[in-house]
Amino acid sequence: MSTPVVIFDGIEKAYGQTVALRGVSFDVNAGEIFGLLGPNGAGKSTLIRILMDIIRADKGRVLVFGEPRRRDHLDRLGYLPEERGLYTKLAVIDVMTYFGSLKGLSRPEAKRRSLAWLEKVELPHVATWKVDRLSKGMSQKVQIASILLSDPEVCVLDEPTTGLDPVNVQMVQDLLVERRRNGRTTILSTHHMNQVEELCDRVALINQGRLMVYGGVHEVRRRYSLPEILVHARGSLPQVPAVSRITDQGEGSWKILLSEGTPPHEVLAALVAAGASVDRFEPLLAPMEDIFVRVVKEGRA
Amino acid sequence: MSSWEKIKAVATFEFLAAVKRPGYLIATFGMPLFMAAYGAVVAVPAYYAEKGSRAPAVYGVVDEPGVLSLSGDLDAGKHSQIPEEMRQALEAAGQGQALDRALAADNFVFRPFTNRDEAHAALAARRLKGYFVIPQDYMREGTLDSYTPDSFNVSGSDSREALSDLLRQRLVEQRVDPAMSARILKPIERTRRFAVTTTGEVRDGGSTASIVRFALPLIFMILFLISVLMTSGYLMQGTATEKENKVVDVLLASANPDQILAGKLLGLGGAGLLQISVWLTMLMATGLGVVPMLVSARVDVPWLALALAVPFFVTAFLFFGGLMLGTGSLGTNMREAQQLAMVWSLTAAAPLMMMAVLIREPNGTAAKVMSWVPFTAAPVVILRASNDASQLAWWEIAGSLGVLVLATWVGLRVGARLFRIGLLSAGARPTLREIVRQARLAA
Repeated sequence: MSTPVVIFDGIEKAYGQTVALRGVSFDVNAGEIFGLLGPNGAGKSTLIRILMDIIRADKGRVLVFGEPRRRDHLDRLGYLPEERGLYTKLAVIDVMTYFGSLKGLSRPEAKRRSLAWLEKVELPHVATWKVDRLSKGMSQKVQIASILLSDPEVCVLDEPTTGLDPVNVQMVQDLLVERRRNGRTTILSTHHMNQVEELCDRVALINQGRLMVYGGVHEVRRRYSLPEILVHARGSLPQVPAVSRITDQGEGSWKILLSEGTPPHEVLAALVAAGASVDRFEPLLAPMEDIFVRVVKEGRA
Repeated sequence: MSSWEKIKAVATFEFLAAVKRPGYLIATFGMPLFMAAYGAVVAVPAYYAEKGSRAPAVYGVVDEPGVLSLSGDLDAGKHSQIPEEMRQALEAAGQGQALDRALAADNFVFRPFTNRDEAHAALAARRLKGYFVIPQDYMREGTLDSYTPDSFNVSGSDSREALSDLLRQRLVEQRVDPAMSARILKPIERTRRFAVTTTGEVRDGGSTASIVRFALPLIFMILFLISVLMTSGYLMQGTATEKENKVVDVLLASANPDQILAGKLLGLGGAGLLQISVWLTMLMATGLGVVPMLVSARVDVPWLALALAVPFFVTAFLFFGGLMLGTGSLGTNMREAQQLAMVWSLTAAAPLMMMAVLIREPNGTAAKVMSWVPFTAAPVVILRASNDASQLAWWEIAGSLGVLVLATWVGLRVGARLFRIGLLSAGARPTLREIVRQARLAA
């Protein structure tokens, strides 16, 4: 069983009359990539800032590594904020070394790791450059490297791939997968739902300060899916019972909407029994994108 | 990672970032060079002007009653108003020649003429700076005639003074014995000064000897003010840069505001103090000649004030720095930050503005009260210790330092809260209500 490394328990926060969080509770397990989702202004950044002790919650508690949140936990946490930057007039290596040393690394060790991470993100040549000489993509990669070089046990990355080209997006995703392989936890706040499907183990979707969706990605997608099956077959598709609707998608592909309570394997058995030559049969899961839109729209309604 | 290590990490970064800035290097090493160049621009023309006036000024004298008995040109000598102790000290410092050069402009030569016409012709030909006629009835009337060119003449009164001295000398010499003559001409040759302590002890107490007692608190106040003002500039700039570059959240996710504030104060304060040290070192290197002067004058070094200067300076510096940084961080830009922090600059300057009162009564009520006020304690205690350490009780020193340390701790805490509020507020300046609310939350 996975151990929670971060527990939000009934977090409430308001800015004057504006309520940002309303009793949000969920856990993040060790060694997972956890998707923190929600529309703009949902309260994600507030929640992250509470976790990082930048602001305080009005109510509720945050447990980190099984203990109430303490300042000395900061060395084991990393945070790449959405609104981010670097000291533009300084050399890249100096800025990275500083961020490393703030996380408890000695200056020589921080410098050594900074150089290693610049190699890793394919930017070894920019070490002595002034930050303002970097392109947007370069700067983005340097920021990510600056946060990850201390190898934090839990790292919060807020939109880490914004502004990166597909190759660099893949590079960042690989880094996150590597962290998971090494037992490190990543809380990923993103609006890119394809990334969530590809990378995240579990998600929490917040809307208007409330936790709306929480659980494993597969389980959430199944929960929000219609009882639909995608079938690839040669020739025509025979009529079978317990099917509400069949939609021909062309090129030997059909989408079948099952009747209420019909298990998919029964439909497969019926198709085969009716002489269908089935090449592919898979239950259709709702895309995260659709779930996101649906939940947010329902919240507004 | 301990709190101190975080502070050290911030301080090291801020210090190195500040001292590597081209602006800092230019200000640190360029300012003394600029001042030297400026000095040279002013001094060179002055030197040549002074060199030109170094030739003795020749005045003619038509001595009708024969009071002066001049047989040829007479050098009237130098007319120095410099105090005796100062002259001795300058000579001990090997500055005797410089003194002579400086005083050479007062050198007058009186040339006898047998009649007015000759003197008149010489002046018209500009061979003289002027001439005096001592008329026959001089002894009775005391009146003489002075002729000068019809152009601007600044040495007229000096030349009359020189002639007056010469007349006095000649009149007395012929009538009284040499000792009496010497005393009439110069009633006080030199003064031996003594200072009496509260215990009745008699010490050497020349005015030059006590110059350090006066100079030390003044230097302390000026240095302190410069340090606070300069460092506040660096602090404001650093915070504005962090807001601008959006590194605030990364910083606050790594260290708490107290640690960041303390680190910034130490790092940027260190950079500011280093700059002042460089300037002082350069100044002292060029002014090493002063040391033998001070030694020869047997200056009275106020050791207690010197010993107290360091802890009081550092504590007061942190006190003002914390408040300035906290207040300044509430500004949305550099200009607004400086305006907000201005109130502390004025407070820091208060003892300097009250210097006249404090020097007149260093142990008066005002000075005693100000010794217990954190905003003024440091310079006032140094002034009192420097003036007369015996009038400053040990409990006053300890109490004053204690109050200052306590106020510094509170100042840093308050500064850190304001700093956090200032860093987290984006765009508009937070309202007073918001500041109070955030400060409560941060508690």
